[in-house]
Amino acid sequence: MTDSMTHVERVMAALTNEKADRLPTYPIACGVNRKLLNGGKGVSYRDWCHDPKLFAQAFIEGQKYFDFDFAIGLMDLSVMAGDLGAHVRMDEQNTPFVDVPLINSPEDYEKLEVPDIRKGRSGVLLEGTKIFSQALAGQVITAGFIEGPLLALSQTAGAERMFMDMFTNPSAVHKALEVTSAYDAEMVKAFGETGCNGLCWDYLWANYSCLGDVEYGEFESPYAMKLNQLTIDNGMALAIHNCADLPHLDTQITKFKPAIYSMAYYPLIPGSPSASEVIEKGYADNCLVAGQIDPQLFVRGTVEKISKVTSDLCHEVKTALCKRNLNARYCIASGCEVPPDVNTKLENIKAVVDVTKREGVLN
Amino acid sequence: MSKDEILNKLSEAVVAGKIEQAKAGAQEALAAKMEALTAINEGLVKGMSIVGDKYAARQVYLPQVLMSAHTMYAGLDILLPAIPKADVANRTRCAICVVEGDVHDIGKNIVKTMLTAGGYDCIDLGKDVPTEKVITTAETDKVKIVALSTLMTPTMDAMKDIIDGLIESGYRSKVKVCIGGPPTSPAFAKEIGADHRDANAQDCVAWLKTAV
Repeated sequence: MTDSMTHVERVMAALTNEKADRLPTYPIACGVNRKLLNGGKGVSYRDWCHDPKLFAQAFIEGQKYFDFDFAIGLMDLSVMAGDLGAHVRMDEQNTPFVDVPLINSPEDYEKLEVPDIRKGRSGVLLEGTKIFSQALAGQVITAGFIEGPLLALSQTAGAERMFMDMFTNPSAVHKALEVTSAYDAEMVKAFGETGCNGLCWDYLWANYSCLGDVEYGEFESPYAMKLNQLTIDNGMALAIHNCADLPHLDTQITKFKPAIYSMAYYPLIPGSPSASEVIEKGYADNCLVAGQIDPQLFVRGTVEKISKVTSDLCHEVKTALCKRNLNARYCIASGCEVPPDVNTKLENIKAVVDVTKREGVLN
Repeated sequence: MSKDEILNKLSEAVVAGKIEQAKAGAQEALAAKMEALTAINEGLVKGMSIVGDKYAARQVYLPQVLMSAHTMYAGLDILLPAIPKADVANRTRCAICVVEGDVHDIGKNIVKTMLTAGGYDCIDLGKDVPTEKVITTAETDKVKIVALSTLMTPTMDAMKDIIDGLIESGYRSKVKVCIGGPPTSPAFAKEIGADHRDANAQDCVAWLKTAV
């Protein structure tokens, strides 16, 4: 099946709930695209996430190879913590992560300072986003990717410590959140100058397995609301990614009002919302929802298996959208990032795109 | 203070996450010549079970659970040394860790808490634990359960390496291996030869009660 709309036309139609030729698609392929560099030999994660040109080129090559509807510049979730001063473990082929938290006492929260965002990996992220956004301008909808203030703090302090300090030292946690929010605000303004069309926020802790409405309402919502508005004020569409099992949909979709909401599905966890349930409950009425293919399928599944899953998801979503009198308000995507693992099968990513082109066609 | 009042004090301390109250309750239990195991099971563990049920019902969340867990451990630090050695030896021993290459241990810590509350003797090997260390510990400490956790996809293969190592060492048949963490699934558990995978700590403990 040949597409009758361009990527940009299709996504714009989806965002405005106008008729589109098919459902948009974007398996969240970010770090895995580095396998396409160096003549197909790939580059290490370390090299990729320290060089803005390599970072950007991976998305450009990914677009050529897979023909996505979006390009979203996720690096990893330790960029901000690392630039705040936490030690990041940088294995050659593994996603970088914080292995030595920076905060070891309540007093340490008050020592945090906003780093120079043009240095460190924040600078790589911004410069890389600028390069691929300019290269892909007009071809696909591009977006930067940024960690929310509570996520950035949890990476810096260690999640367990931060959660307990919410109880025992809430004022110290709030002081630190003021700093991570100020850091985020500087990043938003800088992303606004890169030319990306949108900015995707990772507000990971809006998850009923971790925080209730009261805790999330105290420790992230107020900060996020300001940053969401700042995103829009800087000319970018607001996108939110939350790959948790029990996301706070009423807060993150109904209250935050993102243009795009990316989410996962955990069939074994009672209450985890499926694609059709999300649509039927009205969350796609004013938002393009994206999801929910199991990321593990990209590593361990076969082309046949992931094609069947994608086909089933397309039909589930189209039926639910039709019942709700919606057009292309669902993007066929992975529930979380396609694992940037050396064993991830590129043919499985391609299969998702190809099957969506065929089975996601809308009448 | 009566025995029931002390036990209630311990239980309530855990539910409310009051560390100093748990320490005081534990000292009072010993001063009242209460058996340490009674104070643990009918005080601290009872409180942790209440918290576990509330967490499962989404009435409390991770910050409260973590505070309760630390409170329980504060009480255990005082009471465990008072348990007769013979009673300690009777507890089923379990080795638990986050596998090599990963340092995300919040899930592992919750499972460890529930296992401890369930009466298991947990050897916490920590995070980013070399495969060989898990295998050696299983053998030398004669554990009956190996519980493995990871948050990240690239480190899932370390779970298989551990199971393969246990087979090679001849210890696999003597131990139950359960795995957990967001990228894992029952299908993955089956694929690598693990005995069980669960989505939450309480269900895992319930499974172990029947399996071991």
